[in-house]
Formats: sequence, structure tokens, C-alpha cells
Amino acid sequence: MDISIRQTQADSSSGGDAAMVMSLTGRFDAHEAPQFRAAVAEAIEEGTIRIAVELTDVEFVDSTALAELVRGMKNCRERGGDLSLVSPSDPVRVILELTKLDAAFSID
Amino acid sequence: MIDSSLDAYRRWADVPIAEPPHVSVVIPAYNEEWRIVPTIGAIATHMSSLGTPWELIVADDGSTDDTVVLVRELGLANLRLLVAEQNGGKGSAVRRGVLESRGRVVLFADADQSTPIEQFEALAARLDEGFDVVVGSRAVDGADVANKSLSRKIFSSGLSLLVKGVFRLPVSDTQCGFKMFTAEAAELLFRRQLVDEFSFDLEVLYLARKFGLRTAEVPVAWIDAPGSKVDAGKVALEFVRDLALVRWNDLRGRYASENHPKSGRTSHNNDRASLSQTAS
Repeated sequence: MDISIRQTQADSSSGGDAAMVMSLTGRFDAHEAPQFRAAVAEAIEEGTIRIAVELTDVEFVDSTALAELVRGMKNCRERGGDLSLVSPSDPVRVILELTKLDAAFSID
Repeated sequence: MIDSSLDAYRRWADVPIAEPPHVSVVIPAYNEEWRIVPTIGAIATHMSSLGTPWELIVADDGSTDDTVVLVRELGLANLRLLVAEQNGGKGSAVRRGVLESRGRVVLFADADQSTPIEQFEALAARLDEGFDVVVGSRAVDGADVANKSLSRKIFSSGLSLLVKGVFRLPVSDTQCGFKMFTAEAAELLFRRQLVDEFSFDLEVLYLARKFGLRTAEVPVAWIDAPGSKVDAGKVALEFVRDLALVRWNDLRGRYASENHPKSGRTSHNNDRASLSQTAS
């Protein structure tokens, strides 16, 4: 899996907090989860609490990856921010539905 | 208008197919509560996008965790769940699923999605060319293997040498959990299959050669999914034992007729299974 990160301008919708888009590609599974966790932790440590995770080009997420997304979401929300999901691919959207996590995340 | 794969999936998930399935996908599952749902999601989305009637069969192998509950609660219209009361081995679960399948094409795929379902078409193309059995392979040119541990590499190489030396099978990778059969080949092979454990693949491929079935090997992408239940040392010993057992069975003529005839599919050894369908 590749992670590309771009910092976006803070705007009124983000309440002035720094915001970030993480674009993931490929297969997001237990092998890749540590890399994602580190990227989210680093972002939060630097004060970014609004993270949009773009999943357009992710073919598969396993349970470990889902757990990492939930962890990131909780950590952001505890600080007044959020970790949202953007344009999940069809298989990822179905996996989110089957695990009922579609109700837990903000999905754009 | 062409449906999106999401639309096609939703229809498959909600409405039982009206005609016999063209394809059956069988997933053997033993204590897969952590991995099975994402795998079902990936397989269901991809297979539905192909636009051909298909069914999914999850063959539980006596799971003691929540695998059965999780799968049943999905409530997918074209998913059948076969529940086994006891753990009988992966071979018994695959056999039960394959023998319950109704498709003209039968694929069995491991529950960890280690061979991504997107490779279905590559195997199906060889079946269309006239092959009876098509084997996903991590050991031929073009295969893309990721994260395979050193112990598994050594184990696989050893097995490959044994298989080639002892059985002279025309297959480099007998153990990849992604194999496709015509319905006729599946019937012929799995009704004779006697090995219930890990090396059932080897027996099935041995029988394919014995009965003159055309077998092709297709390179696949394969990702070593964490949480594998394969104990390399234990399995290696079983494998050597089963190599001898398969030979012995053949010498005794035990493959001459069906060992699992249609009338007694749930009554054979190590296969005390009950069949239940997901609520739909």
C-alpha cells in the first residue's frame, strides 16, 4: 500500500484546525496498518485533527485495517476533530457496510 | 445502462438468483471471525460485477468462534452457509462446499483473501480454453508473491520438490488456496477425495492426473495474510504421511469408485455436518 499525504488549507468548515488528506492505494491490510497508524499519530501530534482518508484506489481492507481506521477516528474525535473516509471503492464500501462501520464513519 | 458493481452487488445481496448459478465460490472457514467478513465483501463485490449468476458457499469447519454467527447474520440472499458440528479438516470443508455447489464453474478460495478474487478471470479463461482444473500458482513465472515468510518459502520449496519427485505432477504449487474446476471435474474428484487435512489439494491433483483431466497452472498474486493457521512443521509431517497414503489408497483401488456418493453426502467419516442456509 502507498500512502500519499497532502496538507489542505484550514477553512471555516474545519473550524480553523489543520486538515489533511491521506490518499491510500492498493491493499490496506495488517502488513500496512503500522505505516498508517504511524502517519495518523504523527499528524495528530503535529496538531492535525481533521483527517480525510481517500480510499478510491484501495482494493481491499482487512479487519486490522478497519481497526486502525477506527482507532484514528476515535483519536481525532477525542481532540474535537474527525477522521472521515472519502470515495471508498466499491469493495471497500461493501466491506464497510457488511461490518456496519459505514454508520460509524463520516463518508463523503 | 451498465450497472455499477455496487448496484450489481446489492441485487445479488438482496434477491435470490432465479436460475442455476454459473459460478460457485466456496470458502472453507475454520475460526475465521477476524477475517471472513471483509473477504466475503471483496468476493461478493467482484463476482457480482461480472454479471453472471453466481452463488457463494461458506463451508464452516466446526468453528468454535463467532464465524458461523457472523456469516449467518449477513443475511445475503445468495450465500449458503454449511455448518459442521465438528472440525474435520480443511479438506473436509472444501469437499462439503464443492459437493453442495451448483455452478458449472467451481472455485474454492481461502478465507483470508491471500489470493485476491480479481484473479478469478485469469483462471476462468483457461477453463474456457478446455482445461478441467486450473490451479492458482505462486511458483510459476509471472506470480507475484508478497510478504511470504522465510519458513513458508522453505516449506513450499520442499513440498514442491517432493511432489515433483514422488508424484511427478505437472504442477509446481499444489497448495495455493485458489483452484477452479468444471462441475464435472469437481464431481469426479471430490466424490473420491479421502484426505480431510491440509494435503487434500495434493490428492485432488493426483486424481486429476490419474483420470486424465487437463490441468493448467496460472500465476497469481498472493499476499501472505497474517494469522495463517498453517503450522509448517506439523503440516510437513502430515504432507509426507499423506503422500504415502494417497499412493496406498490408489494401490488398494480406493479411488475406483465414489467414496462420497450423492445419497450419503453428510454421513461419511469426519464429516458430521449439518446444512443450514442463511436467513434471507
